[in-house]
Amino acid sequence: MTDMKNTDMEEINIATDVLVLGGGLTGIKAASEIAGSGYKVILVEKDAELGSQKGPESLIGLEEEYKGLQDLDDKIKADSNVEILTQTSLVSTAGVTGDFIARLSKGEEVIEHNVGAIVVATDFSVGALNEKYGLSLTDNVLTQSRMDELLASEADKEKLANKTVAFLVGLGQEGNPLVLERVLRSVLALQEIDGCNVYIYAGELKVASNGLERMYKDSREKGAVFFKLTEKPEIVENGKTISFFDPVARRDIEISPDLIVVEEEMSANHLNEELAEILRIDVGPLGFLQKDNVHFFPIRSNREGIFVAGSTREISGLPSAWTDVENIAVEVRNLLGDGKKSVAKNKAIVDEAKCVICLTCYRCCPHGAIYWGDKKAIISPVACQGCGICASECPMDAIQIGGFDDGAMSEEVKNGVVSGNGTPRIIAFCCQNSGFEAGEMADVFKLQLPDGLRMIKVPCAGKIDIDYILNAFVAGADGVMVMACHPGNCKSENGNTYAQWRVNDAYRMLEEVGLEKDRLCFVGTASNMGSGFSSIVVDMEKRINELGLSPLK
Amino acid sequence: MSTKNKKVMVIGGGIAGLTAAWELSRFNIDVELIEKTPFLGGYAIRYCCKATDECRQCGACTVEAMLKNVVNEPKIRVHLATDVEKINNSGRLSVDLKKSSYKPDSATEGVIRGYSKNNSPLHVIVDKEKCEENPDAVPEGAVELDTMGFSGKLDVDAVILASGFKPFDAEQKGTYGYEKFPNVVTGMDLELIIRENATVVRPSDGKTAQKIAFIQCVGSRDESLGNLWCSQVCCPYALRMAERIKHKNADAEITVFYMDIQNVGKDYAGFYEKCKTEFRFVRNIPVDVFPMENDSLSMRYMNEEDGLCINEEFDLLVLSVGIMPGPDNSNLSDLFDVVLNEDGFFAGIDKLNSTSTLKDGIFLAGTVAGPKDIAASMAHAGQAASEVIKHLGVS
Ligand SMILES: Cc1cc2nc3c(=O)[nH]c(=O)nc-3n(C[C@H](O)[C@H](O)[C@H](O)COP(=O)(O)OP(=O)(O)OC[C@H]3O[C@@H](n4cnc5c(N)ncnc54)[C@H](O)[C@@H]3O)c2cc1C
Ligand code: SF4
Ligand code: SF4
Repeated sequence: MTDMKNTDMEEINIATDVLVLGGGLTGIKAASEIAGSGYKVILVEKDAELGSQKGPESLIGLEEEYKGLQDLDDKIKADSNVEILTQTSLVSTAGVTGDFIARLSKGEEVIEHNVGAIVVATDFSVGALNEKYGLSLTDNVLTQSRMDELLASEADKEKLANKTVAFLVGLGQEGNPLVLERVLRSVLALQEIDGCNVYIYAGELKVASNGLERMYKDSREKGAVFFKLTEKPEIVENGKTISFFDPVARRDIEISPDLIVVEEEMSANHLNEELAEILRIDVGPLGFLQKDNVHFFPIRSNREGIFVAGSTREISGLPSAWTDVENIAVEVRNLLGDGKKSVAKNKAIVDEAKCVICLTCYRCCPHGAIYWGDKKAIISPVACQGCGICASECPMDAIQIGGFDDGAMSEEVKNGVVSGNGTPRIIAFCCQNSGFEAGEMADVFKLQLPDGLRMIKVPCAGKIDIDYILNAFVAGADGVMVMACHPGNCKSENGNTYAQWRVNDAYRMLEEVGLEKDRLCFVGTASNMGSGFSSIVVDMEKRINELGLSPLK
Repeated sequence: MSTKNKKVMVIGGGIAGLTAAWELSRFNIDVELIEKTPFLGGYAIRYCCKATDECRQCGACTVEAMLKNVVNEPKIRVHLATDVEKINNSGRLSVDLKKSSYKPDSATEGVIRGYSKNNSPLHVIVDKEKCEENPDAVPEGAVELDTMGFSGKLDVDAVILASGFKPFDAEQKGTYGYEKFPNVVTGMDLELIIRENATVVRPSDGKTAQKIAFIQCVGSRDESLGNLWCSQVCCPYALRMAERIKHKNADAEITVFYMDIQNVGKDYAGFYEKCKTEFRFVRNIPVDVFPMENDSLSMRYMNEEDGLCINEEFDLLVLSVGIMPGPDNSNLSDLFDVVLNEDGFFAGIDKLNSTSTLKDGIFLAGTVAGPKDIAASMAHAGQAASEVIKHLGVS
């Protein structure tokens, strides 16, 4: 940990209103929970009605629970802590955690709100996949949504009696448990109808969700026939017949269904990218608003104080959206408290005399914690995570990070180059989240470590200035290691990438002064890699032994 | 109302219990964390990093971080080697605790070590006699198991059950020869092999395993056992470990026997496509395993194309064991008067709130309530903490 104990703290005031974007069930639930813990909430919905976004797809299998949700709309409207803005959208944001300025447009009107935190709760979009199967939608070729509608109406349900229904799932897309759950729900419902025969042509069955395997078994017991295929069956004349070759029975199996139900895909909301730009948060895989980085799970974005819920961050049904909302409620309370926050004064300090407001720091801060005033860049102590990427990128060396200022760091490097009785002197700059933990683990478990190894803790590999590396060599190190988190695991997203770039630059400089490249290395590590750490540093020592001690000492 | 004097008991120190305890402590709530074994961390603290040239999002390293949070947090009182004896439910919940009857599986030297450097104590003496024979082998700071454990009564305002799961006991599937043939290991064993050795070696001869087979769904999705659930974690951990093995040893030949591959990570389709280029996937679960002379294993399975049986030899066989209800579930269910579902996991009040129970003041977190991975267990624990905070009226 940074030396928080020794640093001066100061109390600052922060805004405690919370902006919730998206008035679907997840957004409403978030507004209700956050308002319930005493904060004022502005709930923003682009459509005319709240809850209108909720598709039946996220409610599959939750009929009972849904009854309890029916009054959620009304309750939220009656909640004096919640201001509802429909037909409204977010146009821009400024400021940082604890002090965002959100500009909203409602028709002609532009409304400004000062909020401490923002919750994003957009829904996923549903799309038909009939084309993937070469099918056109007709009265006999239906989407899953259409089938859900039929099953919801008693009159339509009757018409399904004595019909042969074929489902196509997992062959037009990789699929996910929510897609399968919708299919299994309808299959089970159809089997309650007289004379209904159900066939399911399935790729991989995505049963990794509570209750699905049991539903799968129940539907088979009730007579549904599953054909598990590795490729699409042959479909003739827009579904008049469906056939495939069964390798076990060694023959073609052909069926002429009355109805074909085609799976649907669920994808990220088309508004996500625009929102991400306005909020300065990252777009992750497949257009959802969360990077695939374990440190963000479940509900964090790359910016402190901006949270992502439910289908905003991945395809999710209501149960996991509810889990997200509860987690957000806890985080919001932790962040905003009673509007007074105690923060370390020296978390990141910008030297006014040096800063030329070039905005390098503003651009490189992965947490969106930096803005600027008339005289210098300003770093929000609430939003700042202390990674120090800005400090190392600043061309004027105008930024110092509490507990890791450049003076102290170079002192540590000098003291770290110690004689290992003729063995190589190795300086390892270690990220406190990964390499340093792994190194301590190796030490505590008494795994093999070179005598001349010294670990120097940095808040994030992004803090490792190229000067640190070069100075270590100047001070007489025979080898220098940069031990960062594995790509994709950096808490500051790309601190490890910056470190890798700087190591690459340093390679070039070493070459110029005639030092061997092998004296410097960059490795990805994780906190649980005690034995991995040991073997990496032992290998490094071996390589240096082959080169001999540094000619610079 | 203030948080003063509010106290919550968390039962189980796996990732779910650790997360719940930590979240509550951030609200200034006192936490009594009860763990049956001498070490915190549950199963997930023994898992390896599965990164290749990039992180594979297995979540194992986040368990280390959470354990560190908890051991450094004075509001959390940890009671190791302790078990629940009895509940007296009158106003505040009063829970009688006793020393647990924990017994380690095996302990050479008579000392066992925690899996993380953050375990405190790190070494526990489980066999005093063995230690006396060879006192030099006893690490400094080792604590005798006999002296650990808390017995007595604690009054609390709420209880979170986070007693976790049990990995499927592979010996129940006798034809795979687990514990009979040295080179048949479970996913749990492989996690530890990689964590401790940073490489994959055959238990029989310590040689690098070249031809490796994974069998999926061992114990899960198995009607003959009555286990009608997908464990949700074994496809992800198997494919991630397979990728890691392949990354370190490009010559390794990996075959995955499966029924249906479940999604791994956020970009699951992309990940699966990549795996398909690197491993062979066979959609068939082999039934019999035969030992060969060199301790290799021969397996018989059905070829998909022609439906015929083939025999094939492998260096190492990994059984992807799944998540089973915890061994104490029925006992805890009786003690706390909270019902189990038909699969033997604890039942929440409904699907949207699977952390609250029908019993006032008793909450659930993690795999105690059904299969979950690390990230989902942590999220569930966060939800439980939120429900507890509402229940206590903390503001
Ligand atoms: C082989 C295998 C590999 C896996 N790999 C991964 C992976 O790579 N990534 C991933 O995300 N997930 C993985 N998982 C899933 C992961 O193990 C679980 O998600 C996680 O461990 C669940 O944590 P938990 O706290 O719910 O349970 P546990 O880890 O079981 O912890 C429960 C704790 O409670 C204690 N306890 C039990 N009963 C009592 C009692 N009566 N009193 C007091 N204490 C008690 C136990 O001793 C234990 O410490 C894997 C699972 C398996 C089986
Ligand atoms: S692969 Fe797993 S343990 Fe390794 S860095 Fe990624 S999440 Fe952490
Ligand atoms: S996750 Fe994969 S291996 Fe595990 S039970 Fe589910 S389908 Fe089987």
